[in-house]
Amino acid sequence: MFFRLLLESFRRQRRRKALAGLAILLGTTAVTAMLALATTVGDRIHKELAVYGANIVITPKADLLDVKIGGVDIKPSTGGAYLKASDLPKLKSIFWANNITGVSPELPISLNLASGQQIPATGLWFHHKLANGDSSITTGAPIMHPWWKLTGAWPAAPGEVVAGAATGMHIGDNLQTGDTTLKITGLVSTGDAMDKRVLLPLETAQRLANLPDAVSRVDVSARTKPEDAFARKDPDTLSPQQHEIWYCRPYANSIAYQIREAIPGAQADQVRRVEQNEGNVLERISGLMWLISAAALLAAGFAVSAAMATAILERQREIGLMRSLGASKGAIAFLFYAETGLLAIFAGAVGYLLGSGLAAWLGASIFAGDGAASVGPVLIPVLLPVVVALALAVAIAGSTPSIRTALEMDPSTILRADA
Amino acid sequence: MTHRTTHKPQLSFLGMLRRSLIHRRARSFSALVALTVSAAVVTALLTLYADLNAKLHKEFRNFGANVVVTVPTSETGASLPPGTLAAVQKAAGPDALVAPFAYAVATTDRGTSVVVAGTDFAAVRHLDSWWQLPQWPTTPNAALLGERAANFVADEHAVELTYAGKAVTLAGAGKLKTGGDEDSRIYIPMVAFTQWTGISPTVIEVQIPGGAAAVEAALTRLRSQFPTLQIQPVRQLVEGESRIVDRTHSLMYGAVLLIALTVAVSVLATLSASVLERRRDFALMKALGGSQTQLMAMFLLEALAIALAGVVLGYIVGSAAALAISQVNFHTATLPRLSVLPLVLLLNVAIAALAALFPVRVLRGLQPAALLKGE
Repeated sequence: MFFRLLLESFRRQRRRKALAGLAILLGTTAVTAMLALATTVGDRIHKELAVYGANIVITPKADLLDVKIGGVDIKPSTGGAYLKASDLPKLKSIFWANNITGVSPELPISLNLASGQQIPATGLWFHHKLANGDSSITTGAPIMHPWWKLTGAWPAAPGEVVAGAATGMHIGDNLQTGDTTLKITGLVSTGDAMDKRVLLPLETAQRLANLPDAVSRVDVSARTKPEDAFARKDPDTLSPQQHEIWYCRPYANSIAYQIREAIPGAQADQVRRVEQNEGNVLERISGLMWLISAAALLAAGFAVSAAMATAILERQREIGLMRSLGASKGAIAFLFYAETGLLAIFAGAVGYLLGSGLAAWLGASIFAGDGAASVGPVLIPVLLPVVVALALAVAIAGSTPSIRTALEMDPSTILRADA
Repeated sequence: MTHRTTHKPQLSFLGMLRRSLIHRRARSFSALVALTVSAAVVTALLTLYADLNAKLHKEFRNFGANVVVTVPTSETGASLPPGTLAAVQKAAGPDALVAPFAYAVATTDRGTSVVVAGTDFAAVRHLDSWWQLPQWPTTPNAALLGERAANFVADEHAVELTYAGKAVTLAGAGKLKTGGDEDSRIYIPMVAFTQWTGISPTVIEVQIPGGAAAVEAALTRLRSQFPTLQIQPVRQLVEGESRIVDRTHSLMYGAVLLIALTVAVSVLATLSASVLERRRDFALMKALGGSQTQLMAMFLLEALAIALAGVVLGYIVGSAAALAISQVNFHTATLPRLSVLPLVLLLNVAIAALAALFPVRVLRGLQPAALLKGE
């Protein structure tokens, strides 16, 4: 009997159900889309912020003092300390390894050309696969410096190099140094002191400078949590429990701490210019998205509960009739809640699908041109129960006052009333 | 018989409207709530949207200098002509932040070479707000030691430096930490620096607010005014800022459209359901001789009156919400904007009018007699 009533109600009152269903559908679509955008906006903006370069820099601990003005080394240090390139895969084994999105080691050397000329050069990774166990990333200087503009091609073989735009060299030129011939495959414009250098593969630079496995500095780009008062604490003064919490949060300071632990003889520091401000920008933009999502939630909640209230209010006569035929208040309330629940689950699920699609489309069109990496999963499964539960809660909350009013009225009054 | 005609109530159009709104108080109230919510949401989003660029560009100012003015490197030993700083500030605009720098390689008391920079701490404080230091030095002979440089100084309180045979002793003012080149330098006030080394500023760092277009315009102005100087944008900052601001802008635009649409359609559905429910009123009025136009005008006016009230309430609520959101998120207030009001009004009136007119199509086909009989 109960199920027949439920079924008939959906079959006969299609218009009313359609209106209430439409309100729930639109509400959940908007909420799903906003929540999906808000959860992914952090990653997307982080990718955009990669433009600002590394936020953590690793240098050898026993380094000499740099004498650099405007990016130009005035007194190149000789015989300084170096880090080992073979230690770098350890970066992918630290606690927050998955938050490390880019690694770019460099080794500045001086090329002695056959012509007697000496030109500065830097050994770099171009497209290097950094792997440790299951996690691997393809990274290197071009990815870490998206503002570098290249004409030609990045070096793909050990004997290939690119020259800075201000060196006056040309694509196709050969540089003879010792018994090695370097072929220029591209020209790069960086807008800074790099423009006067020759960029060559790290291994080639190590061989030419006779510094096997050496790197003098590593730039790391990591996804971090903006710094708060707790992040600034010195981990060695914290209690073991506090230390654990500090260690397990992706602060730039904790990641730098873990890098120091993983790589012997390394000094890792956050680049404050990038890190402090990136965190702020990221926080502001995702905060804005979350607040707007909250506004969407509130608005959708109002719309859905208003629609549900109207839908029930229209059916006062029905309630009166059922009461006069002997149905208990509880049974009627149960029937109406069941109807509401079914509608909310069905419309909520469809709204979830529509909203996910909409968010994926919006995200893809706004953040177009970021490469395949920006296309995340379209469906965020965890949102489904959240959104359906919200739809259910709002729909039930919206219909409760109307159901209660209708049940409290005298059935004969309702039936006699001309409304 | 005569009695009845004299006491017949004079029901004017406005009287009917007023009674309809007051008599069905619950219904009018729920319509008002719906229209207030739609107006409030649209007001809040549009207000935030209108203010978004300014807010975001303000955040990006913290990244520091986006233009660097230097003496061409071919002329070693040359410095910027006197008065350049003021002229650059003038050309870059009053909102731009400028800070002069001069560099020299000196020797510490331990015999290590170190880069010593002269600058204006008051200007750097605003330009490079990410510098981490105990407090900004104010004394004329203060020396701010970079964290790495401090390791090569024996006495951190009386810092002894030698440049070209001239020794100077400065009061150490704490350690500076940035994670960049600054860590390997010692910063001292420009006046003390010039007195000691005889070197005047060679670099001016400029922060131009407002994204790529503003920087481009300022670059053109600066380059035409100082043709002999090298004026370079900090490329990653300029490009990054515009990209992120544009994308956030589009994201917000998408969100505004999405939410406005949702609210509009939901409100439309609710309102038209409540109008549809009044089939019997419609039938009765029609049976009493009301024309189709009169009835439509009646419904429409009722909806518009509620819509207007909704706009007034919604504008207040929405402006307050926008103020709260930007206070929480950006820590600065977004003041109510009157310029969003026409759009909010238009949207709300359109929703109300559609909600009133949509059911009329359905009602037109109904026979008053059949409806009143309850069929």
